[in-house]
Amino acid sequence: MYTIIAFISFCGKGEKIMNGISGFFQSVISREGIIAVIVAVVLCIVIALLNKKKGRHMSTKTVVAIGVGAALYAALSAISIPVGPNTSFRIAIALLPIFGAFFGPTAGFLIGFIGHALNDAFMYGNVWWSWVFLSAIMGLFGGFVCFDKKFDPLNGICTKVHIGLMYLWSLIGMFVGSVIAYLGDVYLYSEPTEKLFVQITLANISNLVVIAVIGIPAVILIAKSKAKNQGLKKDF
Amino acid sequence: MSKSGSLYIERESLFHGLDGSIKLLMLIAWTGFAFAFMDVRVFLGMVLVGLGILKLSKLPAKAIWPLFAFIFVFTLFNSVFLLLITPEYGSKLTGSYTGILRLGFYSITLETIFYCITLSLKYIAIMPITILFIFTTHPSNFASSLNRIGVPYRVAYAVNIALRYIPDVKTEVDNIINAQEARGVAFRKGDAGLATRLKNYATVMVPLLLSSFNRIEVVSNAMDLRGFGKNKKRTWYHRKNYTGMDLAFAALSFAVLAAGVAIKITVGAVYWYPF
Repeated sequence: MYTIIAFISFCGKGEKIMNGISGFFQSVISREGIIAVIVAVVLCIVIALLNKKKGRHMSTKTVVAIGVGAALYAALSAISIPVGPNTSFRIAIALLPIFGAFFGPTAGFLIGFIGHALNDAFMYGNVWWSWVFLSAIMGLFGGFVCFDKKFDPLNGICTKVHIGLMYLWSLIGMFVGSVIAYLGDVYLYSEPTEKLFVQITLANISNLVVIAVIGIPAVILIAKSKAKNQGLKKDF
Repeated sequence: MSKSGSLYIERESLFHGLDGSIKLLMLIAWTGFAFAFMDVRVFLGMVLVGLGILKLSKLPAKAIWPLFAFIFVFTLFNSVFLLLITPEYGSKLTGSYTGILRLGFYSITLETIFYCITLSLKYIAIMPITILFIFTTHPSNFASSLNRIGVPYRVAYAVNIALRYIPDVKTEVDNIINAQEARGVAFRKGDAGLATRLKNYATVMVPLLLSSFNRIEVVSNAMDLRGFGKNKKRTWYHRKNYTGMDLAFAALSFAVLAAGVAIKITVGAVYWYPF
């Protein structure tokens, strides 16, 4: 680090650059460093939880669900409704909380990861890894509603509490995923921080709308359609 | 996209002969190396080497150029966005201000323009190896190469299933949307407002999910019947032994990755500005 600064200053730009660069790095270390540590801690807790909750390995059904979910993600990525600059409602995002809710956090994470990475690579020949993680983390947190053992939308069990939990986890997942996408873009792709802030805010708003309008209602609708018939009452 | 849902193109070349896992390793090393820099000279070199590699792989230009066209458009938009939000970002990094355009508060500096060019080149530099991996790796080899690099085989197999079912699922989506449109549900611009159109996609989602759950059920039953997931390890039909060329490229990849990580840790991606 210092050798470079010395080298640059030697090249004749002098004081200005040195101050500029060292100031920039100090700000990175102070603000984002702390966020990075927080994210790391959160991830460790998440992984520990997952290991405790999960058995040794996935069932065949989960494997297939991940495959089909990722295929759906890639297929639906073609559908987007553009709104304003650099933002569009991407319908595929709705799949993350849905598949998370039906098949658990591991499936949600991998669907986001595989689906997003494959789609990026096939459509654009370039994978934006930091944004792949945003999708993956959203899927992961979408699956946390399954920690409640009673929650079972395929058999029609989805109470108001569960619906609230789904919204809550989606929001938290968005936040954590955004922080990771932000750090990834800043550190790996060296994008400017202010621009990223705007971009991630826009992306999150559109994602939230898609999840609120399509994602979670779809889970509720399916749960309703699978609910046991309540029409008959026992007369005593 | 071919029937198998992948972009694989059959050719006789050095890179088609390499094992998929080696190409994946190359992809990781190449990307990691690009992450370690913010330097136009390095990226230009990488783009040239990348184009040379693509030339060697004998892929038809017709298949590749749309991707390059896209990335070009993407970086252009990205740069415009960057200039809109942070017109003086490059100057903040270099400490020198060379104004080009002044409109009251808003002023674009030469340093930022150069920064945009650097960033765009970075995206373009990462591209060739990704293209190489996608176009020269047989889809059946895809999963085995993931597994070979250390991904658990169940996850690798999930990737395989995803590749296999993308085309099927695409037709499914189209069918459902067409069926809903036939009933008069609006999906196109101009048919209805934004909120309505978005809501209408919910009517696609539920049938799509139910049919997908059926598909998951059928496929996972079939796999269970064939004993999938019984053992800790699995063998792959398409796996070949490594050749000398494979090992050479693997060594090269490790060297490049190590260099990239070392530079990133010791120096960090410092923005190089010549003027």
